[in-house]
Amino acid sequence: MLEASGLAAGYLGKNVVEGVDMQVAAGRAVAVIGSNGAGKTTLFRALCGMLPVSAGRVRFDGEDITGRPAHRVARAGLAYVPAERHLFPGMSVRENLLLGAYPGRPDPSAFELVLDLFPRLKERHKQPAGSLSGGEQQMLAVGRALMSRPRLLMLDEPTTGLAPKLARSAYQALQTLKEAGVTLLVAEQQVPLALSLADRGYVLETGRIRLEGASEDLERNPEVRRAYLGVA
Amino acid sequence: MTAEFDATVESEAAPLGVSARPPRSLTRAFWPIAVTGAVLALVPLWLGDSRLMMGLAVDALVFGAYAIAFNVIFGSTNQLFLCVGALAGVGGYASAILADTAELPMAVGLVLATTLATALGGLLSWIAVRRSLGVIFTGIVTLAFSLSFANLVLGQRELTGGETGLVVAAGEGTFLRERVAAYYLFLGLLVVFLVVFRALERSHIGWAFRALRDSELAAELAGVDVARYRIYAGLIGSAMLGITGAVYAYSDGFISPSTFAFGHVDVRVLVMLAFGGLGTLLGPVVGTVVFAVLDEFLIDFGQLRTVVYGLLIIALFLGFKRGAVPAVADLLRRLVRQARSRLGRQP
Amino acid sequence: MKAVALDGIVLGLQFGLLGVGMTLIYGLGGVLNLAYGQAAVLAAMVVAITLAAGAPALVAAAAGLLAAAAGGVVVDRTLMLPVYHQRGERRVLLGLLLTLGVAFVIDGLLLWRYPTGALRLEIGGEAVPILGVRMRVGSLLASGISLAVGAILLLFFRATTLGRATRSVIQDEVGARLVGINPAAVRTFIFALSGALAGLVAVTRSMTSPVSVTAGFDFTILALIVAVVGGLGSVAGAFLAGVLLGIVSTVSAFYIGQYITTIVLLAAAALTIVMRPRGLLGR
Repeated sequence: MLEASGLAAGYLGKNVVEGVDMQVAAGRAVAVIGSNGAGKTTLFRALCGMLPVSAGRVRFDGEDITGRPAHRVARAGLAYVPAERHLFPGMSVRENLLLGAYPGRPDPSAFELVLDLFPRLKERHKQPAGSLSGGEQQMLAVGRALMSRPRLLMLDEPTTGLAPKLARSAYQALQTLKEAGVTLLVAEQQVPLALSLADRGYVLETGRIRLEGASEDLERNPEVRRAYLGVA
Repeated sequence: MTAEFDATVESEAAPLGVSARPPRSLTRAFWPIAVTGAVLALVPLWLGDSRLMMGLAVDALVFGAYAIAFNVIFGSTNQLFLCVGALAGVGGYASAILADTAELPMAVGLVLATTLATALGGLLSWIAVRRSLGVIFTGIVTLAFSLSFANLVLGQRELTGGETGLVVAAGEGTFLRERVAAYYLFLGLLVVFLVVFRALERSHIGWAFRALRDSELAAELAGVDVARYRIYAGLIGSAMLGITGAVYAYSDGFISPSTFAFGHVDVRVLVMLAFGGLGTLLGPVVGTVVFAVLDEFLIDFGQLRTVVYGLLIIALFLGFKRGAVPAVADLLRRLVRQARSRLGRQP
Repeated sequence: MKAVALDGIVLGLQFGLLGVGMTLIYGLGGVLNLAYGQAAVLAAMVVAITLAAGAPALVAAAAGLLAAAAGGVVVDRTLMLPVYHQRGERRVLLGLLLTLGVAFVIDGLLLWRYPTGALRLEIGGEAVPILGVRMRVGSLLASGISLAVGAILLLFFRATTLGRATRSVIQDEVGARLVGINPAAVRTFIFALSGALAGLVAVTRSMTSPVSVTAGFDFTILALIVAVVGGLGSVAGAFLAGVLLGIVSTVSAFYIGQYITTIVLLAAAALTIVMRPRGLLGR
């Protein structure tokens, strides 16, 4: 469903990621793991049009979306939840969700799906998004992205600022989504969680893909274990 | 501000203006001022006969002084003071009223008026600093001050002559009223301001200015008391404005709200510095000369003059972030360097 | 006293409309549109010319609003582009300076072409007693229009998709892009809307007193004051501030004087910035 070939992108003329080749198959979950500064966020921004691409191509469902502005990529069915979430703080939970469905009118079943997945949001649906706790904001960010019924959902470090219990329940929610048929692409520093969800993984190191493979293989890979799973 | 995703992320510091260091040696630092002073001193030899032209030349010098003051406040510390005219007006009206109505000696009137302007400017700086007002809010507050001053003058008709203006008796019969003498007086003032500007640049104050322009946060962390230096800039610049306004009142003999109005003074100073370069030593002088010449050409255009100024503002600030002259100078320097390296490569 | 207060409300509603246009543009991109007053004057002149050419009042009014809206779109699509590329203080400064330049260009052109131009809309009819005070029909019509437009605007921003989308761009531009909203399109729309609002203010104002071709900067300053006091970026705030300042202004002008009144308004803006920068209803 999503394909990157030879992708390079960066800031102020310098590339942060280079030569990235990646595939995300429909209905699958793919994880991009790497430590801080590896370039995961830069890669994701380049994929969804938030950052200009300096080399390579990005294809979504066969269509070349390289260089397409972010809002048009969003409308094409690729929803991105960045690490900073970028919610609308002064608007209520309900309004944030309504906007998720832009430009169309929100599908009542989409609302139901989101509120079933995140019942806490139902309780708080009139509250301004800025007053929610970290975990609730994360739920809202994902919920908002889901309102447009995206074909591919990209999440950048969804467990940022979440306590371990909340992080686990976030991944349980993602698992539910995966079973419902939503294609997932997740960038994560918390490798065990990511690999437990994903079918495939890519290891990103200093801007390049270092390793890739099925998640079970990656889990068993000694380099990965040493570097990311803290196992000697 | 939230994180930028553009590849054109630019430093938010030094939105306009330069951060170059002034020359170390005394001669290199000050000879441009000496030369400028000498060149400008020759102007009366050429225009001295026409009272009209000399009047315009004096006006040009006055605006040059205003521009240097604005350069100190905004060019050095990024405080958008949209009350240049008003602060000069404080100097002008206070000195005139003190000398005429309160019948104080001119020198006393001058000192008191300057002190008042300095205090008001310093107060504005202090408020902006204490409340961490950014560029926009500082601009609005100072603009409010400027317009309030204008309205105050208009309203207090008995004291200030209101809209019709005030005829200043003090200074009558003295050398101040003779155009050529006045020219040299203002030239002297201009040179003094330039010297002060340069001296500031070379002092620890100037170092602090450059630091806070480059990155306010880094400067604070390095121990620079950004607040204090901003207030210094405000005080010094306002003092310059106050003196200039006061001397102008005594020398010209007539002041009115339009003499010091925002539309007349502040806008012109902005255009001048857009030409000459914000933050540079001679930028104000270059801008003054260019503007004086330009104004002369446009004199027959009436209202279209305003249109030209508007277009100039747009073109200059769009095209040259640091001013037309620095941009041209940069370009020339680059061309010279290219030429030199090409010559060097030839066998 | 009652008459003064009612006059204040009439004026205040116009102030409110005036402030809304300014506050919207600021809320969107941190840009203070210093050419805002000129949009109003441009509309007034177009209306005056169209009326003089014999067109019916509504057509003339529509022409004026369209002209101002079109002007806004032109400025947004041309000059504002480099401004939007900047961030933070650079953007603010450049926006300020460029719109100032535009203000001068429009002002100069209008003054050059119509040095004594002014728009006067005579609304005939017997004065109507409201709460025991005889109000001119012109004032009532102007207030009615302002109230109606204000209500429509508030409803628009609260309850429609486009309105919500606009608010979202004000609150988090990146977030807006992520949900598929094109901030540039929203900005153009807002520039057009704000131009139309400026034009509307000119038209309604001319029902109570003539709008002269020199009034541009006065309008801009007024709009700025109302927007600041209401809270930059808040539509409801602008209305509230407008009405309050309208009453203050009329009372002060009646009991004290015109010049002091202007100073009072300016001081209100300055004090808001110094004491409560987010204004009445801003965030």
